[in-house]
Amino acid sequence: MKIFKFLTKTAICFAVSTGFLSLSADAQKTTKLTDPEIASVAVTANQIDIGYAKIAEKKSKNADILKFAETMAKDHQSVIDQAVALVTKLGVTPKTNATTKSFLAGAAKTKAMLNSKKGNAFNKAYIDNEVAYHKAAINEVENVLIPDATNGELKSLLQSALPLFKEHLAHAEMVQKEFSK
Amino acid sequence: MKNLLKVFRNSMFFLCMLFLFNGCSTNENNKNKTEVVTEKPLHAVDTVYIKQMQFNPAVLNVKIGDTILWINNDLVTHDVTSDKPNSFYSDTLHVGQSWKMPVKDSAGYHCSIHPTMLGKLVLK
Repeated sequence: MKIFKFLTKTAICFAVSTGFLSLSADAQKTTKLTDPEIASVAVTANQIDIGYAKIAEKKSKNADILKFAETMAKDHQSVIDQAVALVTKLGVTPKTNATTKSFLAGAAKTKAMLNSKKGNAFNKAYIDNEVAYHKAAINEVENVLIPDATNGELKSLLQSALPLFKEHLAHAEMVQKEFSK
Repeated sequence: MKNLLKVFRNSMFFLCMLFLFNGCSTNENNKNKTEVVTEKPLHAVDTVYIKQMQFNPAVLNVKIGDTILWINNDLVTHDVTSDKPNSFYSDTLHVGQSWKMPVKDSAGYHCSIHPTMLGKLVLK
């Protein structure tokens, strides 16, 4: 049983880190992200978490998991709507880049891992991934996206979204405790 | 005839002046009454702003009968829900919406959508 738990955790860590570690490697290779690239990363990162929430809504019957997933879907959609409104106003077209591609590659692996699980194993895998994903996203927003953003309004939107992602992390950790017994 | 007309004109002028003066002094009295009421309000209205995933101020000193107004100035939807079951709760507050409630007692509250967001009303 312990080995099973260990393997599950390792798989989640691997799936999440595949996206974000390769992302850091890419970030090291390239220079600063431009505002259109930042917009693309921000929208993609939010879309990925909505994708995870939709899997949870289909596969879970746990009330706390379902409520958390519903909040993730609504909140991240709200951030996307505001990001889209801002780039439209600024006349910026989000530009797909190496970072966006890394996010999407990591997400594909995580989705496959989540889809392969059922019942409580799924609930645990989903919430463990949410904790890891939000930790990585906070790190990315704080250390890459905000420092690289040149437009004041884009920088301000990212700064406003940071407390939201931190609350999501705290909420995910709260739910995670239920499944770590 | 001319004299009669003059007397009539003067009387009308006097009556108009009297009427105007009386009207002004009545307004003056009403103004004073209003000022007395605003100087000594019975109950205050306090505002709690919801921004950056926090209730601000998180702890509010209040009196019974005061009104609390919550305004959602955040990026996402929130609500105001008492920590005590079957007590007060707001509807979902979309961005830019507000909700007010008269204070009946001290209370702890939270956002039921984001359970790490906490607030408190403390009786003075």
